[in-house]
Amino acid sequence: MKKAFLIGTVLIFLLGYIFIYQIITYNDKKLHVVVCDVGQGDAIFVRTPQGSDILIDGGPDDSVLNCLGKHMPFWDRTLEIMILTHPHSDHFIGLFEVLKNYKVKSFASEDLGNKTAGFNALMEEIKKQRIPTKYVFAGDRFILKDGVILKIVGPTQKFIQQTSPGGTIGESSEFASLESLLIYGKFSALLTGDSQVAELRDAISNGLGNIDLLQVPHHGSRFGLTADILEVLSPKLAAISVGKNNKYGHPTSFILEMLKSLKIKTLRTDQVGDIEIISDGLSWRVK
Amino acid sequence: MLILAVRFYFFYDNQHQLANGQQISFETTILSQPQVVGNRQVFTANYQNQKIRITTGRFPEMNYGDFVRIIGQISNKNNRVLMYSPKIEAINNSSNILQSGLRRINIFRQKLITLFSKTLPSPSSSLLLGIIFGIKEQMPKDFSNNLKTSGVFHVIAASGMNVTLIGGFISTFFAFFLKRQIAICLSILGIMFYAVLAGLEPSIIRASIMGILVFSAQILGRQTLAINGLFLAGFTMLLVDPTLISDIGFQLSFAATLGLVLIPKIKAIGKIWVIGEGVNTTIAAQIATLPILLATFGTYSIYSILVNGLLLWTVPILMIIGGIGAILGLILMPLGQLLIYLCYPLLLYFETIVNIFGKIGGAITIESLSWQFILGYYCLLSSVLLILRKKE
Repeated sequence: MKKAFLIGTVLIFLLGYIFIYQIITYNDKKLHVVVCDVGQGDAIFVRTPQGSDILIDGGPDDSVLNCLGKHMPFWDRTLEIMILTHPHSDHFIGLFEVLKNYKVKSFASEDLGNKTAGFNALMEEIKKQRIPTKYVFAGDRFILKDGVILKIVGPTQKFIQQTSPGGTIGESSEFASLESLLIYGKFSALLTGDSQVAELRDAISNGLGNIDLLQVPHHGSRFGLTADILEVLSPKLAAISVGKNNKYGHPTSFILEMLKSLKIKTLRTDQVGDIEIISDGLSWRVK
Repeated sequence: MLILAVRFYFFYDNQHQLANGQQISFETTILSQPQVVGNRQVFTANYQNQKIRITTGRFPEMNYGDFVRIIGQISNKNNRVLMYSPKIEAINNSSNILQSGLRRINIFRQKLITLFSKTLPSPSSSLLLGIIFGIKEQMPKDFSNNLKTSGVFHVIAASGMNVTLIGGFISTFFAFFLKRQIAICLSILGIMFYAVLAGLEPSIIRASIMGILVFSAQILGRQTLAINGLFLAGFTMLLVDPTLISDIGFQLSFAATLGLVLIPKIKAIGKIWVIGEGVNTTIAAQIATLPILLATFGTYSIYSILVNGLLLWTVPILMIIGGIGAILGLILMPLGQLLIYLCYPLLLYFETIVNIFGKIGGAITIESLSWQFILGYYCLLSSVLLILRKKE
């Protein structure tokens, strides 16, 4: 009995220590953007200054859970917004694991389906958990209490109708993918999913320009960027979410050379793991 | 022994030989939780006394207790009967008692998984689920690899310690207001329920049979010898399913328990503060299982004794606090969550050690191990044990 009491006391003490430590580290009133290391796939986690949690894509497996676990306090088991840029398995399988481990308050995606069993299972799970679901297009925006804005900049409804007239997406062809611009004060980050040149051009013609952080489209695929698009966006930092020795040859040397020649600092998840950017709305830094 | 030999003869004599490329269609109940590996699910199904390892897509997700019709092609590889991406149809057959029972337990199991994984982040939640219930399907792949390389994967297999704690807990609890015999009966039922909940792996079946023997002996007022219980458990299991003899889980569980019973503890080590007992148990279990481990996995981490010593003392604490948390959590979620929180510091400690030693890796690698070596090893081991016994 005496021993049980001792163990209990020590555990309560340690738990209290962890609580206080995590409150100080995770609630620093700053914006955190994390490009998670999920191998060949995408998962981007955003924690706003007031502690709202946004996840954009979930990667190809359960490794997104490690990323969330590392960047959220342990008692926070809620994601305020979960977004899927487009229904491909290297972006949504992880969301399935997220739904099992977190309470998700809202879900948004582009208005495209996919006939695979995996995607159907995901949508069914979302329906089963009664998560409010919204299909978003360019022009829609999420405005959070703490001043963070997540603005959808592509694709437009017209673009989706032109590229995917059947309303579905195949496993091998990438056309429309949600592009969103995350803004906090003076800091802005463009998250691109698997989008291609045509869609970025479309977004730029609608007024997109000059950003701080660019998540390089489609894991650094040849068809994601052109030099003139990069010049308009003129990011200070480029982040590539890519798996080690992947079979697609991502990121392509074409894109890497282009970033290098424009002197844009580039970080890759296969080399550095999770990429975390912290901003107070005035300046920003890489952790 | 004779009965077993007869059983083996008839079993293998009756077994159908499945040809490579043969097309078969059969109905079966899934009796073990399918393991998710990347984009695939893997499980074993029984077809006319033959175990078939089935690999299929990740979705739709299948569960333990599902009754299904499987149509597919056999492929034989390395003496294993496999089947890739068969057509699987779910059959609804709620009149089957076994099936509806399993399904009900599975719902309960899912509730437990949800409670833990919505309380703590991964991998802490899955580690705790593994330690208390032997539930492994939530475990992230890299963490489960680290558990293997650092030599503590066995803590997430439900086995003897779980059974002892559960049986002990139920019988003491109910002994307060029921007759002792009834309390013991309840604890036997509890052990059986737990074994099904944990997924009916060989280690938990062995432990349950031994546990039930110990508890029934208490009703009958007899003494039991662990060694007799172990052999009775092994005997019964092989009688029911002779293929278990080649199951690694069965071999390891049986050999490790035998080692714990027969190999004497080193007193000097046992006295070391906190970690001594864990080190001693690990040494005994490892001496008994070393050839099996090497032959199966090909690697052995020389740090595993140290890692086990550092970690094993936390296991019963985690089981008790987490187990009570699970029961309370099913009744009143926040109350259970508080207790599960209390496990978090220990889980963090556990994970840190596992990840450090998982990265260092196994130090000894062996290409292949001949059966002559294995036989020789066990001959030497038994002679040493006999000499030690004689001296006492």
